[in-house]
Amino acid sequence: MKTEKLILSFIATALGLLVAGIAFYLFQATKTITPTNTKTVSFATPTPTPIPSIFLTIDRPKDEEVVNSKVLVISGKTASNAVVVVITETSEDVIEPAENGDFSTTVSLTDGQNILEIISIAPNGESIRIKKTVTYSLEEF
Amino acid sequence: MIKKGLVFLLTVNCYLLIVVAAYAATPTPVDKIQEIRDQLITNIASRVAQLKLVEKRGIIGVVNDVTNTQISVADLQNNTRFVDVDELTKFSNPAFKGIFGISDITKDSTIGILGLYNKESRRILARFVHVVTTPFIIHGGVAAIDSESFSLSITTEEGKQMTVDIENITRTFSYTPDEGYIRSGFSKIKENYNIIVSGALDIKDESRMTATRVIFFPQIPVSPKVNSALERAHKPK
Repeated sequence: MKTEKLILSFIATALGLLVAGIAFYLFQATKTITPTNTKTVSFATPTPTPIPSIFLTIDRPKDEEVVNSKVLVISGKTASNAVVVVITETSEDVIEPAENGDFSTTVSLTDGQNILEIISIAPNGESIRIKKTVTYSLEEF
Repeated sequence: MIKKGLVFLLTVNCYLLIVVAAYAATPTPVDKIQEIRDQLITNIASRVAQLKLVEKRGIIGVVNDVTNTQISVADLQNNTRFVDVDELTKFSNPAFKGIFGISDITKDSTIGILGLYNKESRRILARFVHVVTTPFIIHGGVAAIDSESFSLSITTEEGKQMTVDIENITRTFSYTPDEGYIRSGFSKIKENYNIIVSGALDIKDESRMTATRVIFFPQIPVSPKVNSALERAHKPK
C-alpha cells in the first residue's frame, strides 16, 4: 500500500512537471513582440588608426634601469632608411641604422637619473619617440 | 551461523583497514628526509621569489601629492606611481641650501627617485629622492623664423606652437646623409625644416623655451602630422 502511494505520487509529480513544461514551451513559442517594445542597437564602425610607416624598439637599456657604469650602450631596431637621434642631458648623437634596421651607440651618463630620448625619423618625416629613464648610481641599499 | 560469520569477517576487515591506515601514516626515515628536502625546496623557492620580487629602480616624475609616508608622482609615461618613504630615505635639492626633507617637496615639482621596486605591489620604497631639472625636447617643423629676435616658431606633431629663443649658449647642428652630423648655425635654418630642439621651458610662458641644442634635417620633410597641424593653424576661421 505504502509503495503504491509512493509510486503514484512520483508519477503525479512527473506528470505535473511535464504539463507545466509543455505549457511554458507553448507560451514562449507563440509569444509575439510588438515593434514598440523592440530596441535597435547599432554599433559604430571604429575609425581605423593610420599605421605609421616607422617603428622603433629599444633592446637596451631597460626603462628605469639602475646601472653602475657611466658609459651606457643603447641598441635597438627601426626602419633601415630612418635616422635615429639619441638625446641625453649632456650629449646628442645621430645614427644611421644598419641594413637590417639595427642600431647601437654609447652615451655618457651623469650622476643620478638620466632621461634618454630616442627619436627615429623616417624619410617622409614621420617620427616615433621613446623616452627612457636610466639611473647611474653606486649606492648600495 | 552465517550471520556470525559475516560479523566476524566485517570485524576482521575493519581491523585490517585500521592497521593499513596506521602503517601508511607512520613516517619512515625515507619519508622524513623527503619531507625535509621538500621543506628546503619550498624555503629556497620562496626566498628566490622574494629576491626577484624586489629590484633597484630609478624613476623621474612630477609630484601629484605628498604625505609624510608617501609621494605620488606622474612618471614620464604619465602613469601614476606610488613611492613609499621611510626614515632611511634621503632627500636632496641642488638649489636648496640647508636640510632638505619631505616637507620641502611641493606639488608639481620634478623629482628623481632611486629605490626598491616591488613587482607585486608595484610601489617603490625610496632610498634617495632628488629634485631634478629635466630638459624639454620638442620635434616638429619650422613654421616661422624671426631673424631679428633670434627666435623660431615651431609646430610640433601634437599641433602645439612653440617659440624657441636661440641664445649664445645654443649649439646648432645639421644632419644630411652626405655631410653627416655637422656643426651649423641659426642662419642655415629655413622654414619647413624638420627640427629637434632641446632646452629649458619658460616658467612663465609654457609656449616658449630657450634652446640649448638644435638639430635640423634639411633633407627630411616635416612630418605629415606637422603639416596638417600647420594647415589647421593657418586655416581662416
